[in-house]
Amino acid sequence: MGERTEQVITLSLPSSMQHVYLLDVVVSEILKEMDLGEDVQEQINLAVIEAGTNAIKHGNKEDLSKKATFQFVLADDKFTIVITDEGEGFTRQEVADPLDPENLLKSSGRGLFLMEACMDSVTYEANGTIVKMVKYKETPAP
Amino acid sequence: MQINLRHKGSITILDIEGKIIGADALALKAVIDEQVQLANSQTENDGRLNLILNMERIQMMDSSGLGALVASYTSIRRIQGRVVLLNLGGSVRNLIVMAKLMTIFDCYNSEAEAIAGIMKS
Repeated sequence: MGERTEQVITLSLPSSMQHVYLLDVVVSEILKEMDLGEDVQEQINLAVIEAGTNAIKHGNKEDLSKKATFQFVLADDKFTIVITDEGEGFTRQEVADPLDPENLLKSSGRGLFLMEACMDSVTYEANGTIVKMVKYKETPAP
Repeated sequence: MQINLRHKGSITILDIEGKIIGADALALKAVIDEQVQLANSQTENDGRLNLILNMERIQMMDSSGLGALVASYTSIRRIQGRVVLLNLGGSVRNLIVMAKLMTIFDCYNSEAEAIAGIMKS
């Protein structure tokens, strides 16, 4: 049985929306190094951008003294991203369903839905100030 | 993100290029709002805006981009105008389908079809 390898990359950003572009560059470069299909790379990239936007904008309210921290864990079988903000948190169940007909024409509120649609698992800890997202690599057929 | 604005007769076309992430959605919304206000202040087209968003060269769009599209739809409908989407790429199309917004937007695969679609309505 081969030895399992794991790499951890950490990025800490002051809470400016301008840094979403830096986050996009970093995650795009990390994804290039992984053995993932283009569609899967796009899904993960989008989920990270959404989570980063939430942490910077809604969590830290664009307060430059607060950090949004991203931990990328690259393993043989999965890619895990842990996003931490310094905000007050939120309750997932209280966020409205953007697919509800009465919400379709709202101009916001789709970020969590897209994160959950793009990743295999999204969990919220510490009152939503820590978000853990996992994408498993596809297991090749025997 | 880059936006090129052009006109074909009474129709305004925005060619959008690059990624719509972070604060880009606000910039896109501002450009569209400006066109709404401009159209609404003129007697041509009865103050309506007929808009085609050419999305062929959009590499990626996040939820704020979707929000800008929806906000533009509502502001243009308010002045009896129309907005249609042109040349949706795979990932952007998937996003719009996932968000159940295909029922709101008319989508076309060629500029001629998009223009015809706007003119017949």
